[in-house]
Amino acid sequence: MLSDRIFVHVIHKPEIISNRSSLFTFSDIGRYRELLWMLAWRDFRIRYAQTAIGLVWAFIQPVLTITILYVIFGRFAQVDTGGVPHIVYTASGLLGWTYFAYVMQNSGNSIITAQAMVKKIYFPRIIVPLSKALVGLIDLGVNAIVLALLMVVFDVPISVNFYVLPVFILMALMAALGIGIWLSALTIRFRDFQYVVPFMVQLGLYITPTAYPAEFAISKLPQWASFIYFMNPMAGVVEGIRWSILDTQAPSGLSYVSFIAVPVLFITSLFYFQKIDGKIADLV
Amino acid sequence: MIEVENLSKRYKLGSHKSDTLRGLLSSWRFSQEKESFLALDNVSFSVSQGETVGVIGRNGAGKSTLMKIISKITKPTSGQVKIYGRVSSLLEVGTGFHPELTGRENIFLNGSILGMTRAEIKNRFDEIVDFSGISEFLDTPVKHYSSGMYVRLAFAVAAHLEPEVLIVDEVLAVGDVDFQRKCFDKMQDVGKSGRTVLLVSHNMEAIERICERTIVLDHGKNVFTGDVAQGISVYSGVNSGNQSSRRWNTNDAPGNDKVRLVEISCRDSNGVSQNQFDCRYPIRIRFEFEVKAEGFQVHPAFHVMNERGICEFISGDFHHPEWGGRKLKTGTHKMECIIPGNLLSEGKHSLMVMLSSKPVSSAPYINHVNIDNCIVLNVFDLVEGDSARGLHKGPYPGVLRPKLKWNVLS
Repeated sequence: MLSDRIFVHVIHKPEIISNRSSLFTFSDIGRYRELLWMLAWRDFRIRYAQTAIGLVWAFIQPVLTITILYVIFGRFAQVDTGGVPHIVYTASGLLGWTYFAYVMQNSGNSIITAQAMVKKIYFPRIIVPLSKALVGLIDLGVNAIVLALLMVVFDVPISVNFYVLPVFILMALMAALGIGIWLSALTIRFRDFQYVVPFMVQLGLYITPTAYPAEFAISKLPQWASFIYFMNPMAGVVEGIRWSILDTQAPSGLSYVSFIAVPVLFITSLFYFQKIDGKIADLV
Repeated sequence: MIEVENLSKRYKLGSHKSDTLRGLLSSWRFSQEKESFLALDNVSFSVSQGETVGVIGRNGAGKSTLMKIISKITKPTSGQVKIYGRVSSLLEVGTGFHPELTGRENIFLNGSILGMTRAEIKNRFDEIVDFSGISEFLDTPVKHYSSGMYVRLAFAVAAHLEPEVLIVDEVLAVGDVDFQRKCFDKMQDVGKSGRTVLLVSHNMEAIERICERTIVLDHGKNVFTGDVAQGISVYSGVNSGNQSSRRWNTNDAPGNDKVRLVEISCRDSNGVSQNQFDCRYPIRIRFEFEVKAEGFQVHPAFHVMNERGICEFISGDFHHPEWGGRKLKTGTHKMECIIPGNLLSEGKHSLMVMLSSKPVSSAPYINHVNIDNCIVLNVFDLVEGDSARGLHKGPYPGVLRPKLKWNVLS
């Protein structure tokens, strides 16, 4: 309703298009929220179009990833998970990471893929990466279901810290949006990122403490390297999510680096996007 | 209502150095001047509420750039546009259509891309389906549609937008003739309903039918603003890349050792070479040729073709009672054919020019010079009432446009 009122307002005051006027306004996102939903819905709709088992794939993917990580870290490396069954431990670690990875993977190219639209119609361009972040929530949900099922099967109780979970989920969303917006904007100018992103996703799975405690990694690293390790915004977030679900070790001392990295990534992404926004149709 | 003030848009030419990281690094080191061109050069005009204005100009004149700026897709380099009211722009039909989605789903998707709310689309859903005429395929993925069906559905969605300002770029040129007519009618309705429409088209018929005013762009400059008929004649002036007169040096004049064509030109009643001709007045086609063999018998002739390549008529010196077929002396000869006023229709006519001979009356003609599309005649109608079309401004069919005599018998 609020945006409708803004909209009526616009009718009476002229809209001025000039070199200075910013084509990116937050009220515009409100006006185009239906488009945001439609784009997310379209992605979801076509994702498993013409596949034989459709949505089952959404479950197969996390289950396979969990299994592989369980074999490597639980069986081969035998990391200490503090009594929690390794498979549940990994499922909780993957919860935030999978979402982050999905958004990272799909946002980079998103504006280039949507170039036919970008060149022919006006809408706030940021909606494109935002829609990817929205679709990713489905994967987040699927992962949550898988985790819940595993917790029931392995009889793992929910942590008393559960009430903090929304804070960490919010941080995961912010981190994913931040990286998504950054990558979508950067890929427009530097197609090089098309090649960098798959590598980041692959590497990220291992350097993020999804299947092992962060302690396990940083105990073997010098102080400065541990610091870099936590520059990965998801390092702290993944630990935090796990801690609030499973009652594992609290996020380690260096997690604050991640917790600072998240809002920095998010806010800078908005600034960079704003800077490039008016030129997108000319650059794509 | 739209006010465009001193609008300019400069594009950089060549590859963007900054498209790669390496390029960006090197451009920091050597900051170089990039070549650029002005797609729009200080364009100003205004469109008042409820007016339908056509923007015309040849390819590369800046029409699309102008539309993109007004649609907020790209920013101007300088100047500004003030828009009062909700704008919808239609620079393409079917933007965002996804082949995997059904017709029904694409209506909702495309509608919201064009700025309609879900509720608005729901309200007009039946009308949209009705207009498109594809109701039985509504739940089929559009990838199975024929291109005609696809376009009809896409236009149907677009046609049901109800903005205060509508910006349309060349999208009427889609579909079969019947559907195009339907689209024209819809566009006219939009114009009549008090909404402001800015229409870009190469289709002069559409412009004449729908618009009240035109803006002619050429090389990014606004060269004309005003009356539709005048605008169109200005447009055909800037549009004729082809000359209406040609003259050759004796060395490279087309022909052979018997005869060479030196000049062919279109002139007005005063004998002055022109590009544009008012349809009401006669046009003189002048031939100048050099006969090289004494006593050679040569026939100048021409075919007049319209833009669709249809031959409207032909003429040759055999229409001259005495001269036709006469043996000529060596040297330069000039002949002229007069095309009467009120014969040619508006638009571009191209002339195929020939110099031929017929050694024996029963033998076929031998062409010594035969140049297809040699020169171009641009004919316009100011619609002042005394041409064949009178004051009628709409489409006026016919390859030729004679103004014929009518008698009242009873």
